Amino acid sequence: MTTRNPTDWKSDVMRRRIARRYGAERRFRLLGLAAVLVSAGFLAFLLISMVGNGIRGFTRTEILVPIDFSTAPMVVDPATLKGANADQALANAGLPNVTNLAAIAAFGPKGDELLSPNAWLTVRDAIKADPSILGKKETLALPSSTAIDLAAKSKGSPEAEAAYAKLAQANAVSTGFNASFLTASDATDPTQVGIWGAFKGSLLTMLVTLALSFPVGVATALYLEEYAPKTWWTDIIEVSINNLAAVPSIIFGLLGLSIFLNLLDFPRSAALVGGMTLALMTMPVIVIAGRNAIKAVPPSIRDAALGVGASPVQVVFHHVLPLALPGILTGTIIGMARALGETAPLLMIGMRAFIATPPGGVTDPATVLPVQIFLWSDEVSKGFVEKTSAAIIVLLAFLLAMNGLAIYLRNKFEKRW
Amino acid sequence: MKYSLLIGVAALSLSACGDQAGGGGSGSARDQIRAVGSSTVYPFATAVAEQFVNANPGMKSPIIESTGTGGGMKLFCAGVGAQYPDIEDASRRIKKSEFELCQKNGVKEIIEIQVGVDGLAFAESKKGPGMKLTPVMIYKALADNPFGKGKNKTETWKDVDPSLPAIPISVFGPPSTSGTRDSLAELVLTKGCESDPAMEELKKKNEDEFKATCTRVREDGKYVDSGENDNLIVQKLGANPNAVGIFGYSFLEENKDTLNDIPLNGVQATYETVSTGQYPGARPLYIYVKKAHIAAIPGLKAYLEAFAAGWEPGGYLTKRGMVASPDDVRKASAEAVKNLTVLDGASLK
Repeated sequence: MTTRNPTDWKSDVMRRRIARRYGAERRFRLLGLAAVLVSAGFLAFLLISMVGNGIRGFTRTEILVPIDFSTAPMVVDPATLKGANADQALANAGLPNVTNLAAIAAFGPKGDELLSPNAWLTVRDAIKADPSILGKKETLALPSSTAIDLAAKSKGSPEAEAAYAKLAQANAVSTGFNASFLTASDATDPTQVGIWGAFKGSLLTMLVTLALSFPVGVATALYLEEYAPKTWWTDIIEVSINNLAAVPSIIFGLLGLSIFLNLLDFPRSAALVGGMTLALMTMPVIVIAGRNAIKAVPPSIRDAALGVGASPVQVVFHHVLPLALPGILTGTIIGMARALGETAPLLMIGMRAFIATPPGGVTDPATVLPVQIFLWSDEVSKGFVEKTSAAIIVLLAFLLAMNGLAIYLRNKFEKRW
Repeated sequence: MKYSLLIGVAALSLSACGDQAGGGGSGSARDQIRAVGSSTVYPFATAVAEQFVNANPGMKSPIIESTGTGGGMKLFCAGVGAQYPDIEDASRRIKKSEFELCQKNGVKEIIEIQVGVDGLAFAESKKGPGMKLTPVMIYKALADNPFGKGKNKTETWKDVDPSLPAIPISVFGPPSTSGTRDSLAELVLTKGCESDPAMEELKKKNEDEFKATCTRVREDGKYVDSGENDNLIVQKLGANPNAVGIFGYSFLEENKDTLNDIPLNGVQATYETVSTGQYPGARPLYIYVKKAHIAAIPGLKAYLEAFAAGWEPGGYLTKRGMVASPDDVRKASAEAVKNLTVLDGASLK
């Protein structure tokens, strides 16, 4: 029998050992903290640079131009402004010329270059809104050219800055919130562009994606968890679904191109095809999230329901599915958020296009937010830089709203056992 | 509560399904113009689209897709009908092979319209060394197998020509699907290549080998393919003062504050030199239109007329950086728009 000596906690060896353990503990904690700080730093850098650049994209510069419609070289019969042909009548009335002449009269020989090439559209809308101005002199706030807009934001060329300073001295210029950025669609002039067309395209695409991937994904998850017998056949399906979730998105784009466009002849660039392609990509994510949520429903609930005489279908629809739904929805929304930010597969099916009319339905040509950002980043004019950042802010806000909804749904319907 | 959630989701899925059943037909007539093709012509085609809608407020805006000239030709030549595009934007002339593909697929009558000129600009950062290049130097620096004498071993510009600075060769340029790349091959590399009489002989003997020798670009990282994104090249040049960028003239024009033009054969890329063709990198821009679609697609003729209205010197297209074609070419193009002249394939290469 050997007697064991009690540990001498005060001995040098033991002290060193304890110090080492505490040291390791501290190092690990600091390492974790550093990792959090680094990722938070990246996020802060992204947000600050985006917001710093993009916030200016939400504003635009307007120039006050007095236009005397009574003497302007144009003929518009006020009677034609009542009906549906008002746009046509005004398009032929020589408004661009009138606008340019008014600017030249107000600001000298190069006055027309201060205005956006499409400034006359604002004049047109003003006349449509109030035909009575045709008889009098009216001062209108017209969008400025990109050069002046950049100068107003202290990013312009020296000449533009000088021209802007002159305008500012005459109190003829103002920079304010640009509501048309949220209501207009793509354009070639950065002062005229808007995000609405792409936003609506994204909404329609997401709707198609949800409509296809959610029912199919949930049904697959239910069948595999509740009904499928455990054979090698279901094992293969399970492995395939897990693999499918990891396939690069561009592959789905090529699949969509060859099946939906080339084989089935669906319309090119349409939200329908975009949604179907993204649904292929989102479905495996929903299946995996759905199976995990269904697995997490305790067997005791199924047994109890069966015990009081419920049929298997009743068990699924009265108990299992409602309890698993918060988890399924969270997975769905995360899958949808991924689909919302997706660009590559949509380029393959032709959603990379200049589309100035917002889509009216899922078969109309459309583009989506990330593709719009991609297109603007490739534009020649420098005014597009801030518009690109502004569009990114809109996309981030959309994503944030979706993820917020996911968290809300989880907290509201989650059950703990 | 749980049920309402379920029902809500189900209703949403159903409504979207119904939506989808309503559409999906493909053969139906289209009321929007569709154009595909070059990223160089894209900004001009979209500007015309905007003018077209402003002048015809009832019409839907044309859909312009930027696919690169080569990719666009494949779509354009796939057939006649509502599911195929009406217009191909091209930063080079249609190739014989593409024309034959069109013919094979029933696209018999194609209208060719030259809309303007673009320069293939070579640029460096303002902080750059101030290089002066010739097509021969560029060919020697970029070819995979210069003059068929084995792999390109040049490391610095000085290896290419003693007059150039001893800085590593680093060129950012367009990818092989781009019409800009075709122009680089045709206008610059082939010209440089033909400076060697042996190559002229090769051209007569073996056209394919001549083409490979003269236009294949090295793939060892000295030439960096920068996608169809010309802005990316502009940014890369800002970050890397010793690099050379290749892109359309309009990008140079817009970025004159950060970039310097590299003269070719001593000629600067300016509006005048590009317009007259004196600048070696000048190339014509085209649009190709299916005659069979003119009657079927509402507004297509008006769109072409809007194009013609903008390409005059001082027109809205030239304000956006396009260079106007010489007078006689413009006149011929205006005729083509008016009479819808069909392209004869015999003159193509």
